[in-house]
Amino acid sequence: MDLSKYAALFLAESREHLAACNQSLLEWERDLAATEPVGNLFRAIHTIKGMAATMGHDTVAALAHRTESLLDAVRGGRVAPSPDVVQLLFSAVDALTTAVGRVGRGEAEDDNEHGALLADLDAAAGAAAGPADLADQAGPADTAPLRSRLVEVVIRPMAPLRGGRALLALRRAEALGRVQDVRPGAHMFERDDFDGRFTFRLTGDLDDGMVEAAIRAAGDVEQVLVGDAVQGGSVAARRQIRVDLGRLDALMKQVGELVVARNRLADIAGRSGEAALGETSERIARLVSAMQGEVLAARMNPVAEVFDRFPRVARDLARDLGKQVRIDAEGGSIELDRAVLDEIGEPLLHLIRNALDHGIESPADRIAAGKPAEGRVQLSATRERNTVAIRVSDDGRGIDRAAILVRGRRDGSIGPDVTVLSDDLLLRILARAGFSTATRVSGVSGRGVGIDIAVTRARALGGTLSVTSEQGKGTTWTLRVPLTLAIVRALLAGVGDERYAVPIAFVAETVEFDARQVSAVRDREAMVVRNHAIPTVHLRREVGIEGNPPARRPGIILEVGERRAALVVDRLLGQQDIVVEPFEAPDGLPPFLGGATILADGAPALILDAAALV
Amino acid sequence: MGHSVLVCDDAIFMRTMISDILSQAGFEIVGEAESGVQAVQQYRSLRPDLVTMDIVMPDMGGIDAVREICKEDPSARILMCSAMGQQALVVEAIQAGAKDFVVKPFQPSRVLEAVQRVLG
Repeated sequence: MDLSKYAALFLAESREHLAACNQSLLEWERDLAATEPVGNLFRAIHTIKGMAATMGHDTVAALAHRTESLLDAVRGGRVAPSPDVVQLLFSAVDALTTAVGRVGRGEAEDDNEHGALLADLDAAAGAAAGPADLADQAGPADTAPLRSRLVEVVIRPMAPLRGGRALLALRRAEALGRVQDVRPGAHMFERDDFDGRFTFRLTGDLDDGMVEAAIRAAGDVEQVLVGDAVQGGSVAARRQIRVDLGRLDALMKQVGELVVARNRLADIAGRSGEAALGETSERIARLVSAMQGEVLAARMNPVAEVFDRFPRVARDLARDLGKQVRIDAEGGSIELDRAVLDEIGEPLLHLIRNALDHGIESPADRIAAGKPAEGRVQLSATRERNTVAIRVSDDGRGIDRAAILVRGRRDGSIGPDVTVLSDDLLLRILARAGFSTATRVSGVSGRGVGIDIAVTRARALGGTLSVTSEQGKGTTWTLRVPLTLAIVRALLAGVGDERYAVPIAFVAETVEFDARQVSAVRDREAMVVRNHAIPTVHLRREVGIEGNPPARRPGIILEVGERRAALVVDRLLGQQDIVVEPFEAPDGLPPFLGGATILADGAPALILDAAALV
Repeated sequence: MGHSVLVCDDAIFMRTMISDILSQAGFEIVGEAESGVQAVQQYRSLRPDLVTMDIVMPDMGGIDAVREICKEDPSARILMCSAMGQQALVVEAIQAGAKDFVVKPFQPSRVLEAVQRVLG
């Protein structure tokens, strides 16, 4: 086992514990009858012993062991507390500090240096302990040789690529001992819907504190529960109380304000250059982030809450229509912000009605087409980056593109040159308010197909709606919505003197826009990134800024579902959590401006709607 | 003298950005590579303390480069530079031997934290 990487951890933790020991000793000295300082001292010294023994620092371990023995005797009432005992323990803590200091400087340990002190400690403890035999004498608390214990790790909810982070945490655990029974299996780490929580069994000789510290060192770890705590944690997690949604909304709003204030503070601290202010600002930033994560987590509810409504509705609809339909749902455990969840029910209902009414054929038609009489509608939810994709798929007749083409030509929405309807174009036509190819008006989905409503709702949520359809095989609608509405992580981009926020959920990467790599695809300018031509959108041009752009410009690769675009801006200005403000678009504002926010420096900025740009 | 770093990314923009972040923090950029093949060759000759590796690169991708480098030097310290949505690739890179990862677009503090973890 390579322990060198824990050296820094060992030093930092030991120093912390030794500092705490001095505090406890001072406290104890003031009131010799107090038991709490003794307990604290015992635990701190015990932890140091466990770490030192693991690291092979025998002098430190022996000193800690003998100190612990004396503390144990005091704790157990076999040795009466006295000023002499306290003084001796002060000396022991000093000696430990010296010994740890030597380790830190990489100097050799000196076994003889502490001979007199060790003798004094043994004498004070009644010489009961005898010479150190660490394996046998491991304290009563939590160090047992080669103990197997359950470990639960939770990766921070806001951390990017939680699966990768989880694997790094697991790697750290593997360096400590044998890892078994990883749940969910490590293959889950590769999935986008992995929720960042996993457990495993660890067999090794380290104490729980060291295990936790080592795993936390993997970064972005929210929580590590070791041993008994795992059970306690799970039980605690199941305890619930009812909270008025209004309170959560109010709390969320407050946190939103706090995020704006935090960003502002960070900005001021950054410009002042004062170290103490910077540190405090960073600390506040971390606390606010943690709080934001907690509030968001409290607002999360499983998609199943919405999905569960549909089977019954679908059954009744199918009966009215004289059709046989089975509706299945998967991914119901995926969670969404309550506010998002409340908004997706209606558009999903439109899509399901649409599938039942226009998609699924009558049993006779299905049998004639060689399909089972019973049609299927599949609902599914999957995590994709910071969005959730909800799909409604049917195995019905598919959308009749020819009929739509004819209809679109007649009302002038499709030019005469268009002969093939792409999925995108199809959606645009279907989304026109009131558009319908239905030759009859059914009582179910009415005259229009309700797609306009679904599209509008998706856009209002900062999400997207897309469709794929194959004649005779079926249609799949995909509604993509953000995990949460209130606070969005955004990449800030500048053009001219203006700043714009691009929600990070739709940013695949940033590249350098190089005019030499520009080509044209179907009359549109496109830049080549790793052999793929991506259409470019020049933000300068779109918002009408005059003057010359800088020579070196970044391109932000936006990705919405399968579609991509390279947004060329003047410069990137970093990331920020932004609070989306209610936004009443003034007349004449380009459609790709989807909201407004207040930036860290107090200035307003507009939020770009990625879906309208790709 | 700061730790030596080899920066591997096919975009000059990214290389410049990473180099700036790390050199400002006291690291010494000893080499840059713009393909997986170059990364392996440069690692062989430079033996840097740290490598930053883009996942998607021409001529042998970042993950294969990690595999190749770790085969020759199992103690190599490689930090992957990934993008959102590359979960499966990042997992594969760690299995290949990468020690940590950062996600584009970069925040300097996150990059430095990850570097500290890798070197720690």
